[in-house]
Amino acid sequence: MRPVAQASGVSRLWDAARRALSVAELALGIALFLLVLLLALFGVALQTHDPMASDLMRRFLPFGAEGHLLGTDHMGRDMWSRMLAGLQWSMACAFTANVINLFIGATLGLLAAERPGWTRNVVRQVADIFQAFPSLVAAIVVVVVIGDGFVTLVLTLGFLSWPIFMRVVYAEASSLYSRDFVKAARLAGVSRLAVMFGHVLPGLRASLLVIFALHFAALLIAESALSFLGIGAPLGVPTWGNSLAESRQYVLVAPQLLLVPAGAIIFTVITMNVLGDGLAAYSRRRGRGIEP
Amino acid sequence: MGERLLRAVLPQLGKLLVLLFTISTLLFFLLRQAGDPAYVLAGVGATPEQLAAIRLQYGLDRPLFGQYLSYLGNVLRFDFGASLITGDSALGTVMQRFPQTLQLASMAMFLSIVVSIPLGAWLGARPERAGRRLVSGIVFVLQGAPGFVLALLFIQLLAIQLMWLPSVGYSASDWKTWVLPTLSLATFSAPSLTRIVAANVTEALREDYIRTGRAYGAPFHTLLWRHALPNALLGASALIGVQFAGLLSGSAIIESIYSWPGMGSLLLEAVQTLDFPVVQAEVFVIAILVFGVNVLMDFTFRRLDPRLADAPA
Repeated sequence: MRPVAQASGVSRLWDAARRALSVAELALGIALFLLVLLLALFGVALQTHDPMASDLMRRFLPFGAEGHLLGTDHMGRDMWSRMLAGLQWSMACAFTANVINLFIGATLGLLAAERPGWTRNVVRQVADIFQAFPSLVAAIVVVVVIGDGFVTLVLTLGFLSWPIFMRVVYAEASSLYSRDFVKAARLAGVSRLAVMFGHVLPGLRASLLVIFALHFAALLIAESALSFLGIGAPLGVPTWGNSLAESRQYVLVAPQLLLVPAGAIIFTVITMNVLGDGLAAYSRRRGRGIEP
Repeated sequence: MGERLLRAVLPQLGKLLVLLFTISTLLFFLLRQAGDPAYVLAGVGATPEQLAAIRLQYGLDRPLFGQYLSYLGNVLRFDFGASLITGDSALGTVMQRFPQTLQLASMAMFLSIVVSIPLGAWLGARPERAGRRLVSGIVFVLQGAPGFVLALLFIQLLAIQLMWLPSVGYSASDWKTWVLPTLSLATFSAPSLTRIVAANVTEALREDYIRTGRAYGAPFHTLLWRHALPNALLGASALIGVQFAGLLSGSAIIESIYSWPGMGSLLLEAVQTLDFPVVQAEVFVIAILVFGVNVLMDFTFRRLDPRLADAPA
């Protein structure tokens, strides 16, 4: 892109610095993600109390109170244990919905790229429709009608927000299908499915990983927003959204009740964004020069 | 000109019809799934005779497919029936809330544009400097942080701790009640707009015409504000369109937090009281709104960028 600048020593130094920075961002993203993942998987062991157990004698304890690291809420329940329980719920929900999104989006995207006839047109139209309609509005209507619960929530988010995967897979797979090595494989008599899974899909790994991380953040937000509105997570389940909604009653007495779930949501979402951005920057660097 | 407009609008109109048909159909079967509408219409404690009368009155005793056809006929005439709660026209109830939503979305979009363009240009001009690195980091965090969580934090800080502004409630005559909702909704759009303006400005400053301008001795700020920024805005204007559609349709949670009497909070009320005619009317209106804004923006975009004028839709 910048042949003149490429040659100069200063710009080479700048390039090296940028590469180091992108690696540093990726490393930070992976470190934060591992922390969140470990807390989600093994957080139960770190819970100091039953997240549902209330103790009306010990309500509204501040941060650092004896035995309660993050204090207690309006029913005397331990905020640290509830925060960990909420992390588990949010991560499980976002992960499962994301896997469904990935599966639907990648399947349709590959299909559209492989058959550029009416299949492609239909798939793109359907994706357009899903994308045009605000998915939070759709999720609100669907979840309220079908009913609360983990499964409803996950399936709703899973079946509503896949178009981002479809669009990226379609765009990249289309360009791969026009490359010589794929054409050669087809001419050599490799079956359509073998080409799809053996030659095209591996080339999409990097992009899928990036979208998976960034979309994970979007799903975390959607889940906590719905549960804040009292939709999705059954009442009383210790989710961050529920905790936020409950904290609104006590803004004057105990503002710390807002800070714990708010901080947890922001931290987790930003972790996934840093990871996604880091992966994107890293694969851009590595992909340099391979692109046609 | 007229023909060009027609060519741009016609395919979109086809898409809109497909979208509305799909949504109406899905809603019809989804809401039937939720239970016998007669129970909802009759209210709690209705006798079997009352239920039967209501089924007869609303045609609920007819086969499902027949009901579906007459429902589609009503939808075509924009007749969604009356709200189950107030008895007013469902569409009228929704449209009554529309001005407040339009006001909030417009104020938030205006705030985003006014902040993001200068900030993005400043960040994009010299992205490698330490101070701007820091600001970029803050913008990145704001982009990630969910808007409704930020809204709650704003209320806590600005309304409850500092007591500068009212925390919730809406008054058409008191601008102070507008500040926090606008600020909160703008956090949905401003960070990503800032980032795209910054990236586009950085990109534009590498173009040949900037180098030529510099060779002629044009000062940097002229090159930045007069030459690089307008080209950077071309790319950003597409995002502005998408964002405005998003603000109009996606403000439900912010409206509900601030008790803002718009369409978004109406949707949440209607959904929670199972007021299905209002839900149907609202979903319909949102679909039309989003599509209208997209088509309008697409058209404006083509007028702004002559290279796109003849590209297929």
